[in-house]
Amino acid sequence: MNDKTKLPRVAKGKKLNYLNDGSIDNLMAMIMTLTQEISVLRDRIDTLERILESKKIILDEEFNEFIPSDDLETKRKNRRHALLERVLLPIKKELE
Amino acid sequence: MQPKPNHDESVRQDFVTDLRAYLTDEIYTLITPHYEKKIEPEFLQSHDRKPKDKSEVKSLMLNDKGYQSWSLLQRLSQQMMFTSVIDTVERNLEAMIDNLDKHQEIGSLEIDDSLEIPRYLTAYDIHQQPGGYHSETIEKDISAGAVYDISLPIYSRNAMGEENDLLAQAIIHYIDKNIGTFQPKDILDMGCGIGNSTLPFSKKYPNSKVVGADVALPCLRYAHARANALGVEADFSQQNVEKTNYDSESFDLVTSTLLLHETSHDAVPKIIQECFRLLKPGGWMIHLDVYPFHKKEDDPLYDFLKDWEVINNNENFSGALRKMNMKKIIEDAGFATETVEFTSAEAAAKYSKGYTGDFYLKLPVYVAQKSIAS
Repeated sequence: MNDKTKLPRVAKGKKLNYLNDGSIDNLMAMIMTLTQEISVLRDRIDTLERILESKKIILDEEFNEFIPSDDLETKRKNRRHALLERVLLPIKKELE
Repeated sequence: MQPKPNHDESVRQDFVTDLRAYLTDEIYTLITPHYEKKIEPEFLQSHDRKPKDKSEVKSLMLNDKGYQSWSLLQRLSQQMMFTSVIDTVERNLEAMIDNLDKHQEIGSLEIDDSLEIPRYLTAYDIHQQPGGYHSETIEKDISAGAVYDISLPIYSRNAMGEENDLLAQAIIHYIDKNIGTFQPKDILDMGCGIGNSTLPFSKKYPNSKVVGADVALPCLRYAHARANALGVEADFSQQNVEKTNYDSESFDLVTSTLLLHETSHDAVPKIIQECFRLLKPGGWMIHLDVYPFHKKEDDPLYDFLKDWEVINNNENFSGALRKMNMKKIIEDAGFATETVEFTSAEAAAKYSKGYTGDFYLKLPVYVAQKSIAS
């Protein structure tokens, strides 16, 4: 694992500051990344439930072989939308 | 060719698509009403007039918590897009590079080791892609190309088409509609990147010879392998399109998509002059770019908002490009006035993968024809 190539993950460019001070910007970045990870977990559980439903035994690769139907894609999209709605409500209130 | 995300990477990328959609549809749409209902009236009350230009609007907006929160989130969503894609590319990178040899049969790849990458690509990473288009982390690196390829559908809400070819389709549609009899034999796509806007020309004009030129080698390596994987022929060459090594009058059609706004004040006239040199008499130049030409009158908020990418997404030159006198630059390069046109290229598009809805892509193009007599 350690000798595997690591690609850069930070873009070169001007550092910008948005909300009062940089640490609040960092908090926002951390909150959004945590939200993303909650969404990933939820989708993983969702896949798990569906494979369990059909088989009762799960192999790790089955996660990667699982292709959601259009219907499921829409359900997941709507669920993520609702998650964002809850997390971003304070920002929406600020603008309304 | 495209590296396949595993389960968690895939849904992590889906989250970014949804976050970007949410920010555009649910948050960004609140900004203009918020400005009109709160920010502008408050200014009017204390100043007895409305804000007069974008710099006045800017100082108001940079003190508004709502605007700043949207702006920060929008910037973060771009960063999250790239980090979630880089995971997939990094995990598959060595295997992809090992497989490159299997994808070399058709077309060609010409490398220029001595080519200097222009400063406008090295000074900062355009639209925040870490490492930009040109950086190499490993021998025979293709990661920049792969990252770009997977990011486009996330960026566009899956609207760019299966092969990310929507922009080239808009140019082809323009040609069919306006110069329908035109059958180019030699075609050059400038700033071709991963070739997603190059290959559609090979398909549209099967008897033509199509070349994609770009400075960024990781993108070109990916482009050549991708073209092979898709079974579409094109030649790729590492060149700075400000000054290529092709003979004068080599091409019937020279195109670019989203190239000009990623260059510089000095580079744009050179690129246009190079187009003129490379075109055969009667040949056409078509550059498609992102920004509207038609400036709304007396709308300082609009003026301010359209600069968002310039300031916040490392599209540093795109604001300056809008102010350049492109008509004069094109005419000075030798194109006859009556052939120069700024218009729109259009293509029917639709969202996919959980997103629905059709829309009509309409992007500006700079078009000119080299006179038969010149």
